[in-house]
Amino acid sequence: MISKEICERVLQKASSTGADYAEIFAENTLNHSVNLVGGKVDAVHDAQIAGAAVRVFLGLRSVMATTVDTSEAGLMRCAQRAAEALAEGRAEGTISLRERLNGDIHPIYVAPSSVANAGKVELLRTASAAASGYDPSVVQVTATLLDVDHRILVATSEGLWTQDRQIRTRMMVQAVAEKNGETQTGFCSPGARRGMELFDAVDPREVGLEAARQAVTMAGAGYCPAGVMPVAIGNGFGGVIFHEACGHSLEASSVAYGNSQFCGKLGQKIAHEKVTAIDDGTIPGDWGSINIDDEGTPAQRKVLIENGVLKSYMIDKFNGRRMGMASTGSARRQSFSYVPTSRMTNTFIAPGADRDEDIIASIEYGLYAKSMGGGSVNPVTGEFNFAVSEGYLIRNGKICEPVRGASLVGKGSEIIQRIDMVGAELKCGQGMCGSSSGSIPTNVGQPLIRVSSITVGGR
Amino acid sequence: MDFQTFRQFADSEAAALHIEEYELYYQLEESASVSAFRRETREFSSASEGGVCLRCLVSGRMGYASTQLLSEESARALVRRAVDNAAVLENDQPEALVPAGQSYRSAAAKDEPLPSAGKLRETVLAGQDALYAQPGVVDGCETEAFANRISIAIHNSRGLDLRYEHTISGAVLSAVVSDGKEDGEKSSDYKICLGALDALDLPAAAKEAADHARDTLGAGAAPSGAVPVVFSAKAMAQLLGTYAAVFSAENAQKGLSLLKDKEGTEIAAPIVTLVDDPFYEKSAMPMPFDAEGSPTRRKNVIENGVLSTLLYNLRTAAAAGKETTGNGDKPNYDAKVGVRPFTMYLVSGEMTREQLLEKAQNGVLINSLGGLHAGANVVSGDFSLQSAGFLIENGKKTAPVRSFTVAGNFFSLLKSITGIANDPEPPMSPSSTAFVSPSVLVEGLSIAGK
Repeated sequence: MISKEICERVLQKASSTGADYAEIFAENTLNHSVNLVGGKVDAVHDAQIAGAAVRVFLGLRSVMATTVDTSEAGLMRCAQRAAEALAEGRAEGTISLRERLNGDIHPIYVAPSSVANAGKVELLRTASAAASGYDPSVVQVTATLLDVDHRILVATSEGLWTQDRQIRTRMMVQAVAEKNGETQTGFCSPGARRGMELFDAVDPREVGLEAARQAVTMAGAGYCPAGVMPVAIGNGFGGVIFHEACGHSLEASSVAYGNSQFCGKLGQKIAHEKVTAIDDGTIPGDWGSINIDDEGTPAQRKVLIENGVLKSYMIDKFNGRRMGMASTGSARRQSFSYVPTSRMTNTFIAPGADRDEDIIASIEYGLYAKSMGGGSVNPVTGEFNFAVSEGYLIRNGKICEPVRGASLVGKGSEIIQRIDMVGAELKCGQGMCGSSSGSIPTNVGQPLIRVSSITVGGR
Repeated sequence: MDFQTFRQFADSEAAALHIEEYELYYQLEESASVSAFRRETREFSSASEGGVCLRCLVSGRMGYASTQLLSEESARALVRRAVDNAAVLENDQPEALVPAGQSYRSAAAKDEPLPSAGKLRETVLAGQDALYAQPGVVDGCETEAFANRISIAIHNSRGLDLRYEHTISGAVLSAVVSDGKEDGEKSSDYKICLGALDALDLPAAAKEAADHARDTLGAGAAPSGAVPVVFSAKAMAQLLGTYAAVFSAENAQKGLSLLKDKEGTEIAAPIVTLVDDPFYEKSAMPMPFDAEGSPTRRKNVIENGVLSTLLYNLRTAAAAGKETTGNGDKPNYDAKVGVRPFTMYLVSGEMTREQLLEKAQNGVLINSLGGLHAGANVVSGDFSLQSAGFLIENGKKTAPVRSFTVAGNFFSLLKSITGIANDPEPPMSPSSTAFVSPSVLVEGLSIAGK
């Protein structure tokens, strides 16, 4: 995208007023999606994102300037803006870059950009027809196939010049079912850091059927009762509980500023001993995986919590300075126009030894949250919430009737001590996580778990 | 390359491909912001981002493509991509382009240069001083000062040539407070203030953020049950913003809003009047035209409980045999034209907030809602949301409560509003879309706490 020689001159300019670190992040991204509504192609979104950001640090201060003009002159003006804003001293030394080649552990067999719209429409029609045909109560189906081809370049005053190409593909189906004038929705959205070969493993028909099954089940359901009770949370996207209750509070963007319930707790027991949690950006083909993060640091597998003991935070270079700790390959940004910060990749609770049937049987009266929607958290207080998209009451250790409209709320530091049973079958679900550096793909995951007591928001 | 030069290449490619109806939508957003922590500036950012979206009509279908790369090659490729994308579309009602010669109300847009880095720094440090002057405030308070200059240009083959330039600035103050005990309880709240940096009342904003954060310290659990609920002005505005999509004719026509075919019928309590106003006096970004270039106007969406109109763009209006309400929207320059309100506000009643609490007698006052993107389903109207606020006992606000949920259905809620106060707060959104409401009393919602 931008040659080493140009990068050297731009970094030199960026550092000219005394920065102790300078960085160029450039990208050229194709965002593409096809959307079907009621079985008909309603929209094609086709956008090219291209630009660059120059960042400089001096001590605990950071400056970023961005531009869509990636000519040498445009980049030099951008570097000049960054340097002027820092304006503290003079440059020392010269910058010379060496190229680093990152092994790509995510082979792409069919680049989505090489498949014509018509081929994508076929897959969507299959998914949409399956959902519509599932039950007469399904009144609307929307289906989207999106793919992203994200090429990045990172060059830093530490001498690094490197590139990565990150391709992702995802299908999302929403079904609406209607009974007695009321509607409920069902959603299924598998995705991966793969090309169109994703659909060798994922049958679009199954995606449609799953969305429809969920909508139809919920349309017949009564409201979830309210109160404090034990809850069994299903595997897959159920892992959003750890993402919200704990994950965000382990990001350096909160920890470095004292705004996390887990500050200063490294080496201490913060969770139930059955909880081991991992953030792993290196899983081949997984939705949240990266070869390198957006500061050029290779992705890592980090054990965040081991048998209840806090082992690691998720750290980017800038916030790591304040913490006196090295980057963990966690710097991520939606695009060049966002300031990168520490974020999650594929974050999950590791498999335990409990059997699923024992977890359900252990609950006399409670909720089985089979599928989850999204959630959010305030890292300062640790208060989080997330929505249950498919829930069932448990009575006398048996899964009973479906219930709708529930959410779970609690305080992260308390809830992770109450995860007292962990099943063996780990599964992940795909999500988009929103935070200060934009919306990024992350996996959440877990086996079936039991939370001994949590507030269920129903009625 | 500038937009005008890019436009000429796109025009020439469109002519070569015999594309007669097309539009170029250009947006540039220049922004600057400074954040501070521990009374020192932490991050400075100066961004310039934008691009061009082209949409063109091919055999009655409107294809789209966009790019941030302004070059002759990308201009020509843009037209070819949009034509290619049009070929697979199957929607029944085509989009249309707005002809030249419309009359637009002159908006109070102000095009000002971005404030200097020095001015932003001064503001953000003054914000830190204001926060740390508040009682109970502890280490960890962050402040940010920001300014955005937005330029939009719409140029189409029917002669339309519109431009809009507007600058927004403001500050965000986040107060972190504690109960003073070692390893004790912390709480936080923030306040966004919009306006010229010199005119911001930072001490007042800091006081408000810190007071609100402190009020919630020592909060207990709320009892579970169905009780009267008062939503504060801020909480009700959040809820309105979440459910605004139900008023979109696009969602109604796609079967994704239960307000489909409900125009002219009663959907809310008779005391409810809901207005959408692109020229709302405190709007941070008044808009004379929508994303299609149609003139905008004020309209009642709900009038005395009756749904007067949904919000339309050209395509959805044509499908319904109506006129556009001027609510065409692009959430970003590269997006397909959809539908969105400008400043949507619930008209104030005559009661004070105290009288509203008096009317509620015993119940819960909700000051803030969380997880709206997940816990509120726009299609079904069901919601179950993390809440924080106060108990209402004998008509008075008493003890703070938090980590409970409020659950109900938005469509039933509209009908169960039994009181509206007269205490709306100015919009906190630095964009052309904002939601405003006074405090509102609602019967029949469920609280889940202890």
